[in-house]
Amino acid sequence: MKVTLNWLKQYVDFDWSPEVLSERLTMLGIEVEGMSKIGGEFEGIVVAQVITRDKHPNADKLSLCRVNDGKGERQIVCGAQNFKAGDKVALILPGASLPARPGAEPFTIKVGRIRGVESQGMMCSPQELGLPDHVDGLLILREDAIPGQPFAEYLGRSGADVVYDLEITPNRPDLNSVIGIAREIAAVTGNPLRLPEVTTPDDKTSGRAVADLVSVRIEDVELCPRYTARLVEGVKIAPAPDWMRSLLEKVGVRSINNVVDVTNYVMLESGQPLHAFDYHLLKAAEGKSHPTIVVRRAREGERFITLDGQERALSPQMLLIADESRPVALGGVMGGQNSEINLNTVDVLIESAYFNPSNIRATSKKLDLRTESSYRFERGADIGLCEWASRRAAQLILQTAGGTLAAGVVDAYPQPAEPRQITLRPTKVKDLLGIELSSDQIEEYLSRLEIKAASRKPRPVGAESPASEPGTFRVPSFRVDLKREVDLIEEVARLYGVDRIPSTEPRGAIGANPFDSVHDQYAQVRANLVGLGLFEAQGQTLISDAAASLLSNQGPVLLGNPLSSDMNVLRPSLLPGLLDSLRHNVSRKNYDVGLFELGRVFNHVKGGETAASPTGSSLVTAVTEQRNLAIALTGQRAPVFWAGPERDAKFDIYDLKGMLEEFLEQFGVRGVVFAAASQPDSFFLESGVLQLGKFELGHFGQLSPLIAKRYDLRDAVFLAELNLDTLMARRNVTKSFRALAAFPPIRRDIAMLLPEGTTHEAVLQTIKQAKPANLESVELFDVFRGKNVAAGLKSMAYAFTYRSPERTLTDAEVNTAHEKVVEQLKQKLNAVVRDS
Amino acid sequence: MAGFLDELEPLKAAALAEFKAAPDLAGLEQVRVSFLGSHGRFTALLKQLGSLPKEEKPAAGKAVNSVKLELESALSSRRSELELQAALPKEPSDFTLPGRRRGLGKLHPLTSVTEDIVRSFRKIGFVVADGPEVEDEYHCFDALNTPADHPARDAQDTFYLSQPGDGRQGSLLRTHTSSVQIRVMEKQQPPVRIIVPGRVYRRDNADATHNPTFHQVEGLYVDRNVTVGDLKGTVEFVFKELMGAETRIRFRPHYFSYTEPSFEIDFSSALTRKMGKEWLEIAGCGMVHPKVFENVGYDPEVWTGWAFGFGIERIAMIRYGINDIRLFYENDVRFLKQF
Repeated sequence: MKVTLNWLKQYVDFDWSPEVLSERLTMLGIEVEGMSKIGGEFEGIVVAQVITRDKHPNADKLSLCRVNDGKGERQIVCGAQNFKAGDKVALILPGASLPARPGAEPFTIKVGRIRGVESQGMMCSPQELGLPDHVDGLLILREDAIPGQPFAEYLGRSGADVVYDLEITPNRPDLNSVIGIAREIAAVTGNPLRLPEVTTPDDKTSGRAVADLVSVRIEDVELCPRYTARLVEGVKIAPAPDWMRSLLEKVGVRSINNVVDVTNYVMLESGQPLHAFDYHLLKAAEGKSHPTIVVRRAREGERFITLDGQERALSPQMLLIADESRPVALGGVMGGQNSEINLNTVDVLIESAYFNPSNIRATSKKLDLRTESSYRFERGADIGLCEWASRRAAQLILQTAGGTLAAGVVDAYPQPAEPRQITLRPTKVKDLLGIELSSDQIEEYLSRLEIKAASRKPRPVGAESPASEPGTFRVPSFRVDLKREVDLIEEVARLYGVDRIPSTEPRGAIGANPFDSVHDQYAQVRANLVGLGLFEAQGQTLISDAAASLLSNQGPVLLGNPLSSDMNVLRPSLLPGLLDSLRHNVSRKNYDVGLFELGRVFNHVKGGETAASPTGSSLVTAVTEQRNLAIALTGQRAPVFWAGPERDAKFDIYDLKGMLEEFLEQFGVRGVVFAAASQPDSFFLESGVLQLGKFELGHFGQLSPLIAKRYDLRDAVFLAELNLDTLMARRNVTKSFRALAAFPPIRRDIAMLLPEGTTHEAVLQTIKQAKPANLESVELFDVFRGKNVAAGLKSMAYAFTYRSPERTLTDAEVNTAHEKVVEQLKQKLNAVVRDS
Repeated sequence: MAGFLDELEPLKAAALAEFKAAPDLAGLEQVRVSFLGSHGRFTALLKQLGSLPKEEKPAAGKAVNSVKLELESALSSRRSELELQAALPKEPSDFTLPGRRRGLGKLHPLTSVTEDIVRSFRKIGFVVADGPEVEDEYHCFDALNTPADHPARDAQDTFYLSQPGDGRQGSLLRTHTSSVQIRVMEKQQPPVRIIVPGRVYRRDNADATHNPTFHQVEGLYVDRNVTVGDLKGTVEFVFKELMGAETRIRFRPHYFSYTEPSFEIDFSSALTRKMGKEWLEIAGCGMVHPKVFENVGYDPEVWTGWAFGFGIERIAMIRYGINDIRLFYENDVRFLKQF
């Protein structure tokens, strides 16, 4: 919504600078999104009237004048001869500049002395003003010029102004009008709101009554509770006057012609959308002397061409304005081509009505047709304003397009709305705002907004001000947002000024929420992974169905109204997002990347229970949200270093597994089994699963190079994704101290040749089953293939540590235990123990 | 006797000189053997001690012992010297060479900001809460006093899930964390003090200031006699914690369907002035609308409360001077390393 500073000043006095106005509006809750100054022509030049003209004491050809500039008197020295006391002239004030001539610097007027006498400005010739008139001396203005009036305004040209672009919150449709904004300013300043006087001189009123020229029949009172019609006869369609056109232009409305411009002007001024019909294009029913406006629902399949030339297919939910034979407007949204004002229009029917907001909104949405009119009606127009706005439009049409006004108005308003009444308790004001206000103060604030007290018990003489007595207030019809007590309290807060409400220190309170500990666990996961050298990533929740299908052939959760096919499903996994991030990094030559992400993934569960369908109806596929943790690695394992055999080593699968093991241990999840995935997988080249008892925690592996290629990733990529909800549920953070071993350990190493297919896990199981006495730990320290190892075999070397918590072991007893293990390995795994 | 002692002093001097001259530990060992070994010169001298006359033995023994101690001590200190010398690298280390680093990762800047916000709230007794991101219309809109045809619903362009089956449009991606207010109040009686960080979704095309996914933090406080003053006090506390003690806060009347009165919060600090602005909008807030209380079964005559919410990206952008919201979701390591 755009308004201008000068336009506002027509309705209320205030002497704020443009910047202060912006600040005050902002603090009233009307956010100023933009403010632009329009440098008008003739800035600083005003109409002035010469009061006296005397000879200059020191110069024959100069005169010394006193002039009235509208605000006071000034002394001016002047060299022209063609004027006398009483003449009205153009006066340029000190500080202002004369219009520049092409190629010349503008000339700025200062207070100066001319032949020893001070001159506070300069009276101008037409040449000096850059006007075409050729006069020897000053430009003498018409008698009707008003001292103090900007000269540009006198000429009918646009003066300097400031245009504000305001953000109006949807609850305040009354602020979509200049008068609405002015009313707020009036409330703050305490200055009165000046509404334009709307009267029609008798000589502009025709003898005919409008009721004899048009009828109104509302068929659906719910959708149109009020409809008024007025008729101006004998107009001449022409461009609107300059002042109106320039004003409309400033606030971004295209000028059409005088009548249409008036309807727009009144809408911007008052907030009431109007429509003007060419009266002669409304058809009377056969046998009737005059047309009837019928307000009705559209018929199934009815079609209608709106003003913009579009043919619209209507449905019975939409409201039409029609005559007896055909529709003429889409009520509250847009007029029809068949009845619009045109160059031949002579008689104008002014519609000023109130339409049901929800219905307008539905129609506008369905037809995808948004207009200034629908915008206002769908937010709620002022039902009390219809008649006034119609009268105001008639007045301006008579002024700008001539003609005469048919007497009276047709005002179909079958059930006039009662003003809403709201009771307000001062105690509640204190409860909510924390400030103590008396009933009188509250009443004063509200009355400034035209919210008047409806009833108040008479107070006994001499009784103290009833500080806490509830009052009942009448809500004016333009304030559709005020519905209950708390709404009035907000108004009190606005006018009192929220900046004046004192802050109070935060108070203690108790409370708990199950998510509180989840939040902490998240922090622990992050701390661990950051410690492992990974960077935290945040991926998009919305990804493409193609990316989602890389991992799962279960259909992902689809959006019904996606923005694009790149973001049309909810991620079923964090991995596609991490792949995007890897691609982004590698394409920017960050080749070495280790990322992790914590986030939710979304999947369907048939017949499950979710927030969206708590009933778990089997018809609706429920959506589950699961917290996951994912890791992605590519490129070099360690930061760049300048020496050492491993300095260029790239990440491999055991880096990833090591991180997972370290993380799981730190996080308190024990007993996780890593195993090769039972089924081949097109996403991974090689992959494994993490199993905790019967729970599958997740999977990890090396990305298939075919997919890596699609993501432009040249180094091997290692990925893991775990179910964090399960991890959090299964973790054990209980810690208890174990005494430090007091007796020395004894170590025995074994190096053995094993078939390739024998896993480390199989070795460990075999050792475990041998149950050697006092075995404290077994550690794999070498795996070797190649020299001296036959194909199909591998050499694995283990360190066994034996120790007793109670005594120092002897070599002999350790040897006995160890022999048992070696024997078992030979027997069960065909191990060939090498001499070391 | 005289001959014996005459030999002692030169032998000692010779041993000390040779200890000193030994170039390395092996050389030193040779020297040691040549003097103190079983066939060494000093050992040989020692053996002569027995052949001395009885009355000369004590004095000679004393002298020999003192020299022996002296030699052992000199040997030991020379050995330490040579050990150190042997341990030294061939060339001294260049301490300006880069170290071998074990890189730590970094938290995402959105996480750091969220953690800071949560920490400030926890200091004053708030607990963290959350709810589903796939929401229903009731919790996201209706319960928050935003009925279906409410114009405010226009401002929030919502993603809906496509629903196979009966085709009804029930599930949506929450457009704000305020839905969690409702979920918590449905389950819990006042007093309530929660802070809700989380992901939210709006149907905006990605550009420098928009991403369809972003994060918000919501605060809700319900108790007896909670006032606008409490709201102001808490907001001031939290923002000073977050943006520095010199931060100033102002409230402007605004409109949200679920609070009444409603305010927008602007803040002012060195950061905003660096951006060329005195005041920068940072959050929305207000007193919980009585209708919302009624919807969750709280009596608005007994309980009052406030709620406020703000965008985490916006705070992070202001705090770190980040000019494009998309950077948060690209996860470029050069970006992530900076925070």
